[in-house]
Amino acid sequence: MSAPIEVNGLVKRFGSFTAVNGVSFEVAGGQVTALLGPNGAGKTTTIEILEGFQSPTAGTVRVLGANPRKGGSAWRARIGLVLQTTSLDAQLTVAEAVGLYGTLYKRPLGTGEVLDAIEMTDDASTRIGALSGGQKRRVDLGIAIVGRPDMLFLDEPTTGLDPEVRRRMWQIIEGLTDAGTTVLLTTHYMDEAQHLASRVVVLADGQVAADATPAELRAMGGPPVIRFRPPAGGPELPPALKDRTLSGTDDLISLVAWARDHRVDLTGLEVSPPSLEDAYLALTGRTDVSA
Amino acid sequence: MSQLKYHLTLIMRNPRAFIAGLIMPALFLALETSHKQHPSAAQIDQVVAGLVVFGLLNLAYLTYATGIVVAREDGVLRRWYASPLPRWQYFAARVVAAALLADAAALILLLVGASMAGLHLTVAGTGSLLLAVTIGAIALAAVGTAVTPLLPPGQGMYSLLAITYLPLLIFSGGFGQNSDLPHWLTTLMTYLPIQPIVSGASTALRHPGFLPGRDLLVLAAWAVAALVLSVRYFRWDPTRPAHARRAP
Repeated sequence: MSAPIEVNGLVKRFGSFTAVNGVSFEVAGGQVTALLGPNGAGKTTTIEILEGFQSPTAGTVRVLGANPRKGGSAWRARIGLVLQTTSLDAQLTVAEAVGLYGTLYKRPLGTGEVLDAIEMTDDASTRIGALSGGQKRRVDLGIAIVGRPDMLFLDEPTTGLDPEVRRRMWQIIEGLTDAGTTVLLTTHYMDEAQHLASRVVVLADGQVAADATPAELRAMGGPPVIRFRPPAGGPELPPALKDRTLSGTDDLISLVAWARDHRVDLTGLEVSPPSLEDAYLALTGRTDVSA
Repeated sequence: MSQLKYHLTLIMRNPRAFIAGLIMPALFLALETSHKQHPSAAQIDQVVAGLVVFGLLNLAYLTYATGIVVAREDGVLRRWYASPLPRWQYFAARVVAAALLADAAALILLLVGASMAGLHLTVAGTGSLLLAVTIGAIALAAVGTAVTPLLPPGQGMYSLLAITYLPLLIFSGGFGQNSDLPHWLTTLMTYLPIQPIVSGASTALRHPGFLPGRDLLVLAAWAVAALVLSVRYFRWDPTRPAHARRAP
């Protein structure tokens, strides 16, 4: 059986600018695959091509066995979308919006069932224009799942949400994958990718920089990272150890030697594999996840 | 049916549509009839027909086109585009909703005209006028769809649309016949979509049961031309800021 998403040699140019340059990957069924990359890396263009909003310049993409640009009504009924920005009619109530989209599908979830899932039952009669950003995002997700999609695209679904709401969204997404839904997620939050994704595809400058499990990706991040809290009011670190991420055996030996010479306790000293964020930054050559 | 209900709900919950499509024409009718001493039946027919078309333009052109632009910029069109709904159904329901509300507004205006201005109302005349309004609504909504790619997001679109229809409505006799206009201008108006609707509406009131064939043909031609342009140029995607156009 073919994978729900197959991307082969995908290229997308806008005039002389190449946004996506020879990207290939597959997304396996029933799990979350995270598509990561800094702004301008090509992830939004890639996901928009997969959703059918744009045509590739070259290469092929198949989503649920079809070319997204030519997927008909039956194909679209199997796809759920949470777009990068909220896309709702402010004049409708939450229940009206969910119920309206439910009429488009053969076997929709009940409106009450969706409202329960997104924890919006108490706001069923509230107009969408009166909701907070986090609530609107949950309605977006509710509309995306009302048709029981086989494939769900989540384009930065939790950007700007508070940690509690993000955790709730994660629970909903986990519930969907447990039920067999395939999810392609883009996010700037490494903890989100770490928590939800079984696989991570990292894009940088329009190309695939890594395609691996989160654990494999962390292993690609280089030598173990050394973390400790410098003593308050204690001696200063030598220039070679100051103002940079410490990693590897040489840094550890230098640090321990310095601590012994200055009789400093290395409170909270940790030597651990690089985090997903460390690995991501190493792969993309950035210093900030959101950059 | 759910699409029709959806679009009717959107318009009914839009105070701008309610005021511009119904309240303003009724107010203008009250003002117009209050300062005229013993107007003739033909004058009353002309005033009512003109204001019916004014309300129709507000509902089926201004509100309709701005509604599409707002939906486009809010990403709502994008969501519909990606849904299983056949795309023509979205527009069909939107046009029918605009036509139904324009008919309702016209009917209310006729009743106001009959009670306040002495408009002579017949079943045949009312039916003909509603038919003219329905055909006009379809043509205007088609033109409204075709112009949306040219409309910028934000408040600017209201002014831009007003510029496109208010002068035409005035030159087309929507606010009373203007005999001082040059011949070429009055001739030109007969080929644009508003004058045929004004003509159709006033003819319906003057000669119940009759609609001028030429006017209907002009409206049909505009509707077809607008449909062709819409199929070619309609945009489902929001306008991207200039800095994002190169690297989406």
